[in-house]
Amino acid sequence: MSNDDETAKADGGTASQSETVEDERFEEHPLEWDEPENNDKAPDERDSVSHRTEKYDDRKLVTGQAKYTADYEERYPDLAYAAVVRSEIPHGRVTDIDTSAAEAIDGVEAVLTPESDAVPDAKYTSAGQSYPEPSPWDMHVLNEHVRYIGDPIAAVAAEDRATATAAVEAIEVSYEEADYVTDPEAAFDEDAPQLFEDGEVENEIVGHDYDRNRMAHIGGELGDVDGALDGNTHVHETEWETIRQSHANVEKHTSLAYTDEDDRHVLITSTQVPNHTRRQLAHLFDIPIRDIRVTKPRVGGGFGGKQAMVVEPIPLALSLATDRPVLYEASREEEFYAMRSRHPMKVKAKTAVTDDGDIEAIDIYALSNTGAYGSHGMTVAGNVGSKPMPLYSKVPNARFEADIVHTNTPQTGAMRGYGAPQGTLALEGHLDEVARDLGLDPIEFRRRHHMEVGDLDEIAGMMGGEGANRRIRSCGLDECIEHGKDAIGYDDLEQPDEDHLHRGIGMALSAQGTGVAGDELGAAQIMMNEDGSFHLQVGGVDIGTGADTAFLQIAAEVLGCDEDDIIVKSSDTDVTPFDYGAYASSTTYISGMAVKKAAEDAKARILDWGAKLLDEPVEKLETGDGTVYSESSGDSVTLEDIGYEAAYGDDEREHILGKGTHCTEESPPPFAAQFADVTVDETTGEFEVHKLVVAVDCGVAINPGMAEGQIEGANHMSYEMAVSDGITLDDEGRAEVADFDEYGLPSATETPPIESILVETHEPTGPFGAKSVAEVPTNTVPPALSNAVRDAVGVRIREMPITAEKIRAKLDEREI
Amino acid sequence: MPKTGGNAVDIELTINGERTIVEAGSGDDLATVLRQHGYIDVKCGCDGGTCGASKVFVDGDVRMACEMEATDADGSEIQTVAALGTQADLHPVQQAFVDNFAVQCGFCIPGMVIQAVALLDSNPDPTEREVREALDDNVCRCTGYQKPVEAVLDAAQRMQGEQSVAADGGHPVSAPTHGDESTSCCGGDCDE
Repeated sequence: MSNDDETAKADGGTASQSETVEDERFEEHPLEWDEPENNDKAPDERDSVSHRTEKYDDRKLVTGQAKYTADYEERYPDLAYAAVVRSEIPHGRVTDIDTSAAEAIDGVEAVLTPESDAVPDAKYTSAGQSYPEPSPWDMHVLNEHVRYIGDPIAAVAAEDRATATAAVEAIEVSYEEADYVTDPEAAFDEDAPQLFEDGEVENEIVGHDYDRNRMAHIGGELGDVDGALDGNTHVHETEWETIRQSHANVEKHTSLAYTDEDDRHVLITSTQVPNHTRRQLAHLFDIPIRDIRVTKPRVGGGFGGKQAMVVEPIPLALSLATDRPVLYEASREEEFYAMRSRHPMKVKAKTAVTDDGDIEAIDIYALSNTGAYGSHGMTVAGNVGSKPMPLYSKVPNARFEADIVHTNTPQTGAMRGYGAPQGTLALEGHLDEVARDLGLDPIEFRRRHHMEVGDLDEIAGMMGGEGANRRIRSCGLDECIEHGKDAIGYDDLEQPDEDHLHRGIGMALSAQGTGVAGDELGAAQIMMNEDGSFHLQVGGVDIGTGADTAFLQIAAEVLGCDEDDIIVKSSDTDVTPFDYGAYASSTTYISGMAVKKAAEDAKARILDWGAKLLDEPVEKLETGDGTVYSESSGDSVTLEDIGYEAAYGDDEREHILGKGTHCTEESPPPFAAQFADVTVDETTGEFEVHKLVVAVDCGVAINPGMAEGQIEGANHMSYEMAVSDGITLDDEGRAEVADFDEYGLPSATETPPIESILVETHEPTGPFGAKSVAEVPTNTVPPALSNAVRDAVGVRIREMPITAEKIRAKLDEREI
Repeated sequence: MPKTGGNAVDIELTINGERTIVEAGSGDDLATVLRQHGYIDVKCGCDGGTCGASKVFVDGDVRMACEMEATDADGSEIQTVAALGTQADLHPVQQAFVDNFAVQCGFCIPGMVIQAVALLDSNPDPTEREVREALDDNVCRCTGYQKPVEAVLDAAQRMQGEQSVAADGGHPVSAPTHGDESTSCCGGDCDE
């Protein structure tokens, strides 16, 4: 509610005791934010952050000169190549591994099995998250008990790739097969085959019940949902289903490990989480953190698939066994069946609505299929509720529950959107249906209830405790809706001339977070060279998003220098300050704020030297155009003069350094309004998506060109969730997809035009007003397209993907 | 480095203007051989022929290098993306990709740039639909194709000496059809 609403409610005759309680709740999360003056600049005063600055690494990317992990192979002449033996059965015990034929092959350097000395037997989770880890330790690097077709059993290192592959094929594995279960609802049965024994898993998660294959149960409630459901006329319930989506990062999971001349272990690896990976490897291999170095070169896309230590232990174990550098590059087939995917889910949504059209309660339940292991299982499921439900923070009663269930299917994990796409489909599809059933305009229905500036979001805290409540200080939802409506042509939609063609527009809203509230850390350091240029060292992880560019624009904005005068080095645990990594839409907000603080720290020293050289007080000086200048006298001195004076001065010398670290309890939501324009042929069910429009409030967009790229790419991924099959499995849980031709990633001709619209607001807690952008547009196409089909021909598709066959079947049902 | 398959033979290639003898094992694909000889701008995103990242020119034709046996390229002239321009002096297509923010992780970009150059070579003034068709077997996970398509259209105008359209962001657009791949996409809306 807005401030005015808050006052109105307090004045509206509620008991004084509850007024006090409400006031206290609000006071703990004040609307006013103690924002530094320099953080809130008018657009025309921003010298760098709002510019469409060329992406820092683009020239080497378009000329093919950038180096990804596999490109380092030429540096290591004695490099060995890894390959992995994976389970061919969905569930059972390995009774024998015959490695003799493989070991006899010329060029095979090592064959590792679960029994080998170099292979850790500690349990761990692959999820790359903060510590203590919120995922169960239920995995082994190599497995004697296999739980899905793809579980790693043995690993080889050989002189070349072909020999490594031949060695894998020569290894004979004998199994004692066990019963298996691939359907999450069947897995919940008391008689279902069991993947884990009770007590077998370390670091167990709340609500686990391994007798019923449940790795976690979570939930939370505000108000009295059952009371509201009983007391209102209009109670609706709908159920939705989502696909097993692949990250389909074009660079496969790739990792190179070696031991250097100081006996320290180095990983050059394609990861989103260098610091978490270092900590996890230290735990797994019992090596001190200081003796492990994890460095990330260019990364060819992650999308959450590399927010995990998926492959790194394999080359490290093999390099320890062979005393050689070892490269492991997953195959494309392994990417689809043995890396990670989005959790497929069934989500139920229920609401109670008054005769006046006020939503009194929202109740959401998710059944998440986490596959054979539990990485990111509980936290992804939590986001099914905690990301979309706050959109309607005015609704007085809310409940969310989820069961996260094991099956003998490939592993799931983090993926862009992180549960929010599944929840957004259910909530935004459901509300659309409710509005239409009540004869209300779906957009106006949402407008009556959606979040506004000043609201206290208690749904964010519903499961995380009151401390996780947040005050909303920026919200451009109304503007997103308006701009989106204009761009899609909502008010003047023309129907086709042909009677069998029907055109419709669907709309969906979305909210995400900006980092994990209270569980992030970023750090940065800036060093000034004597010529007035800078080195920026930052832990933040650019996986292709343009984060390095955003960092240097933030630094340049503070330092008043040209962007070309800053060299960025990110993500090398030996060199760059600590960072949690690239996930949860945190990078610009958390690591970016650390960069801003580091730049301000350096700037204070620069101004001090400027004051000395100009003989004027610091208070009168400012940086800009590569100088320190005096606003009163007009005199100036270049950063180069300051750099030389500081490094080589006669009586006093200093290396100008700035450092900054940033953590926060805040996680302001960015917002999106999605529109889809579709024509459906009612005789065949075939449909044509004319256009997708998505308007996004990401606060102040740091580099609008890059922000648009994030939005359009996310929307393409979201479109895939709406129209593609994802990774389909056979009855044994075997992936039926082995390459890009078989995986239904919409191609250039299959993707509709996507129009991205930036709606600028100012988020006072973010660097120069920024919130996140990367995830929120991943959530919205499935509900918007389902709503558009409903608008066009009156049928509702709730099970993704939306296909001509399903529409046709619904149309046929309707005709009967 | 003994990294090739068996029965290695010498083949002669002219790579980016430089004549060279390279060793290729039987069954080795051209992408692997090029990468082994330092041409790391040839990227491999799948295990053969389904992502388009390894596209190069072989005697002027676009080929996925991972799909071609190296020995079949004996005597050929090969151009990789590195031959098109340098970081200081980009090819207009490369420059258009940079200016239109068409690059994110960049892994697919060498193949996409090669394909775009080939398109503009044969069709200097393509429609948006023709650009999408040309890029249809280039997998990009980051961009949603919107900005790469805009970049190629922008490059076409630049190469014809017209003004860049990067600044005013965009072109009229067309749309795909689902469920019937045989019909054309746009129901008459696009500019073909």
